[in-house]
Parts: sequence; C-alpha cells; structure tokens
Amino acid sequence: MTNQSSIKSLPPDENGITELAEDRLFKRVFLTPTVAILLVLSIFPLLWSLGISITTCQRSVQVDASSSTLGNAFCLGNPAELSLQNYARIPTDSRLLTATRNTLFYVVGGVAFQFAVGLGLAMLLNQEFFGRRFFRLVFMLPMMLTPVAAGYLGRMMFDSGLSPLAQLERTIGTALTNLIGQKVTFSIPFITEPSVAPLTIILIDSWQWIPFMTLLLLAGMQAIPDEIYEAARVDGANARQIFWSITFRILLPISLTAILIRSLEMFKIVDIINVVTGGGPGSSTESLVMYVYDTALTYGNYSYAAAIGYVLLVMVIVFATAFLAISRRITRNQLGTES
Amino acid sequence: MKKRSRRATIVLYGLAIFWAFICLFPFYWIFTTSFKRPLDVNRVPRYIPFVDYQPTLDHWKFLLVDEQSKTVRYFRNSLIAAGFACLASVIFGSMAGYGLSRFRYYWARLGWRNDNIAFWIISQRFLPPAAVVIPFILFFNFFHLIDTHFGLIIAYTTFNLPFAVWIMRDFFNSLPIDLEESARVDGATRWQTFIRIVLPLATPGLVTVALFSFIFAWNEFLFSLMLTNFEAITMPVYLAGMKNTKGIDWWYISALTLIMVAPVMLIGLFLQRYIVRGLSAGALKG
Repeated sequence: MTNQSSIKSLPPDENGITELAEDRLFKRVFLTPTVAILLVLSIFPLLWSLGISITTCQRSVQVDASSSTLGNAFCLGNPAELSLQNYARIPTDSRLLTATRNTLFYVVGGVAFQFAVGLGLAMLLNQEFFGRRFFRLVFMLPMMLTPVAAGYLGRMMFDSGLSPLAQLERTIGTALTNLIGQKVTFSIPFITEPSVAPLTIILIDSWQWIPFMTLLLLAGMQAIPDEIYEAARVDGANARQIFWSITFRILLPISLTAILIRSLEMFKIVDIINVVTGGGPGSSTESLVMYVYDTALTYGNYSYAAAIGYVLLVMVIVFATAFLAISRRITRNQLGTES
Repeated sequence: MKKRSRRATIVLYGLAIFWAFICLFPFYWIFTTSFKRPLDVNRVPRYIPFVDYQPTLDHWKFLLVDEQSKTVRYFRNSLIAAGFACLASVIFGSMAGYGLSRFRYYWARLGWRNDNIAFWIISQRFLPPAAVVIPFILFFNFFHLIDTHFGLIIAYTTFNLPFAVWIMRDFFNSLPIDLEESARVDGATRWQTFIRIVLPLATPGLVTVALFSFIFAWNEFLFSLMLTNFEAITMPVYLAGMKNTKGIDWWYISALTLIMVAPVMLIGLFLQRYIVRGLSAGALKG
C-alpha cells in the first residue's frame, strides 16, 4: 500500500504521447472487449430485467422456449402480457417486507458491529508486542473461507444440542441450578427462534468479515506517522483525546469507504443464510436475494423475481447515494479545518 | 518505544488470545469432525482425539475413494470455472486498464472521458447480481448454456472485470512511462511494448487481479446455484446442497468443506501481501 499511496497517478491527458493512427487503433482494441462484455452482460440484462418485471412471465411459459417464439423465450412477448401487477403486489407482500427488513438489518446492524469490533482489533494489532505478526495472520483466517464454508462452521458452533456452545450453556445451567437450588435451563435458541436467528446470521457473517475491517483500518493506522502522536503527547493530550482528535479523524475517510464496501456486499448476502437457516424459521432470516432465488426457481415466477431484483437494486442505489452524500458532509465537517 | 504497564500487557495478550481462539476454534472443530465417527458427533461434543474419541479415516476414504468421481467432478468444475474466468479477467482487465491509463478516450455522445468510463466500469461491481439473474437464466436457456462450464465462465468474467480493470488501471498509472517510450523510440510496436515491456513490469498487479478473480469465482454461490443443475455444479453449491438430506452428515460436510477451502486458504496464506494490496487498492482509492 505504501507503494500505492506514494505514487502520483499519471492522467492520460498529461503524458504527452502524441496520438498516431496506430494508437487510435490500439486504444479501441484495448478497451472494446471490456466495454462490450459489460454492455452485453451487465447493462443490457439490467434493462431487460426491468422489461421482464412489467410482464407476467412465468417459467411454464418459457420452458419449451426453443419450440416457440423469441418473445416467449425472452419473456417479452405474448402470452407474457405487459402489466404492472408485479409492482402492485409489492406493497402488500408481507414476505417481501420481511426480506427487506432483514436485509436492512443485516446491512445496518451487521456492518456496524463488524466495524466496531474491527476497529478494536485494528487498535490491538497496532500495538507493538511479541507475536503480533502471528496474531495478525490468525485474525485474517476467517476471511479466506468460502462463505458457504463459513456458514457451515458457524452452524456447527450454534446448531443443535451437539455444539460445544450448547454444552457450555448446559454447564452454566447446571451451575446456576446448583447455586440457586432451583432448576434452571439455560439454552439460547440460536437458529430455531425467529427473533434470535437473524442475530446468529450476523454473528457468523461478522466472524468472517470483521477481518476485512481490521485489515483496512490497520492499514490506515499504520500510515499515521508517529510524530503526530508524539506531538500530541508532548502537548499533554490524554489517550482519549488522542484517539478522537487524531486516530479517529485520520481514519474517517478509510472507515467510511470500508463501511460502504462492506454494506454493498452485505446487500447481496445469500450463501451464509442458505446454509445456516435456509431463510427460516418461517422467513425470519430470509434476505432479498434469497427471495429472488426462491421466487424464480421454486415458484418459477420470473417476472416477479425480476421485480424484487429491481427493489433490491433501487435500495442499493439509494443507499449508496445517500451514504456518499452524508459521508462527504461528515468528512468536510470533520476535516474542514485541515487540507 | 514507550513502556507498557504490566496490567496493559496482560489485557493485550488476553484479548489477542481470546480473539485468536474465536478465529481458530471453528477450524479446529471442522477439522476434527471430519475424523469423528457419527456417534462421536451426534451425542455430546468430543474435543480431543485419542482422549475422548477414536479418530477414523472412513469419511475421507468415502469421499476420496468410494465417491471419488463425484468429488473430483465438482472440484474440477470449480477449478475450470474459476480458472478460465480468472484468465479472461486478467487478459481483458489488463488491456482495458492499460488503455484507460495510457490513452485518451472521449465518448462524444455521453461526453465521457477516461475517468467517467473508469467510474462506470467500477460501478458495475456493486450492482447486486440478483438484479440481473433472470435475464441470465433466459439468455442461457436460449443459447443452451445452462449447466455448462462456459456459461459460468462468462458470468464470472463479467462480475470480475470491473475490479480487474480498476486494479490494473491503478497499477499502470503507477508505472513510469519512460520505459515504454524508449521501447517505442527503438522501433517496437504498441503491441510489442505492451507484451514485452509493460506486462512483465505489471506482474504484481496481474497476480493481485488473478488471485481476486479466482477466489471470487471459486466462492461464488448464487449464479452457480441458478445456472447449473447437475453437470457443472461447483463445490459451494454441491456442499450447500448436502444439508438438505435428512439428518446432516456433519463428518462428510466437514471433510468436503476442507477440500473446498484448501486451495483458497493456501493461496491466501502464501500470497497474503497481494491480497492485502488488492483489498486496500479497492478501498483506499474507492
């Protein structure tokens, strides 16, 4: 990273290469594949998806597409009629409401938790102590896992009466029973209780992604020169003042970016939930992406799945825009005096 | 260096060891579970091999010998999808990144210049794939790409490209232009300069892009779930499907999970600095 930050980017406008005919050809050859792929496989599907969401297209219509018309095959023609019924259904769909609420809960609660713990661990790793490199490596391990694997690891910790955690709970229960003299059963229904299960999902996701926060914040902390701290200490600042007026302020931009990246990823959460609860109990842990999947593959309702996808897309765009606007303001207020 | 009080040291190590335990214990648990007999999994937790249970190699033998063809097939599917998507992302990503770093573009119709184009490309990375999955299904159905390696490779390349372009553009921006210029003066063509001079210099960037593309595709779940049903299923989907059987066979799941994560963990451990570079390039410049 030091490498990255110390280097000035060379804006192409200033590098002074005169444009030859050869260059004109080459610059097209270099950029075209990427632009073509993104146009065909990202922008076009996005618009197409919007088109599908205002039809009534079902898989049953589409299944033997090869034998019928192109309109059927692409969910855009007869008998998939144009209608706004999918969007009319959205406000009254309680399952969609639950999925939306869960997704927002994961994004806000989960990312906040990950940031808080990640910051703590980054501060820990920023100390000088014997074995720091070892601990840093160990702390990063969960991030290297495939999310599906992290889901299984988490489930083995929390699921059933067989996990070590359940045994710990039983031990505590027995100890309490002996202490009070009354029968105490202590058991947290991590996965089976609708009000607890979303928290379990957040715990497992956090286990995996706290390292991401730690890594970025640690990189930010190590870029702060020691002299600043020395100067503050000489001026008689205490630890809390140093944290809020130096560490926190300097880390603010990178913190906001880390939170944004993690939030945008969190909107896509599906694999951990799929493995740990399958969206249940009921639909208490279901995320929007899972609902899209279920609507499309289990119910075969392609047009409604596309509409839900658009709900998610709009949420992501609104969130990102609002977040960027707010963080720009925070950064300006906090750092206004400097730079 | 300033001295720490004894109490602070104890707290520091206490916290570090506590968190290291949280990070490591699940790994220990899944590793040992893959050697436990079903009885030792299903009654009470057993912790230490040879002390409170007798380890067995049966599950590994089952997966690697009895069910070898299945295990190998899904592992190979993952390897093919991730490998080729990684290759395509590196090729197209480095080309586009180089173009955006060294040439001047202007899309008159949109009034876009290099920075706008680059921003448009990276913005694609944050779109939720769930919003485009239905067109992918229809498209793949029509072209008979459902349940094929090629289909997955196309999808993963699309998702990887924005990040690849972003990293590579960043990297080329940081390379001094002098070498290329002197090569050009010596009569090398653009293409020769790119292949012989620029790419070798950009190896660290290429490695970062390759790693991230590979890991992303290796871990991807949603598209593999929706676009494959039997032949081309990748490891994560195969593994996630194992919970649907009645009574979860935790010992097989554990062993398979270890098989699945092994490549990525090894890459991560040995090439850690590239990972750090990629993550921080994505965030610091984002």
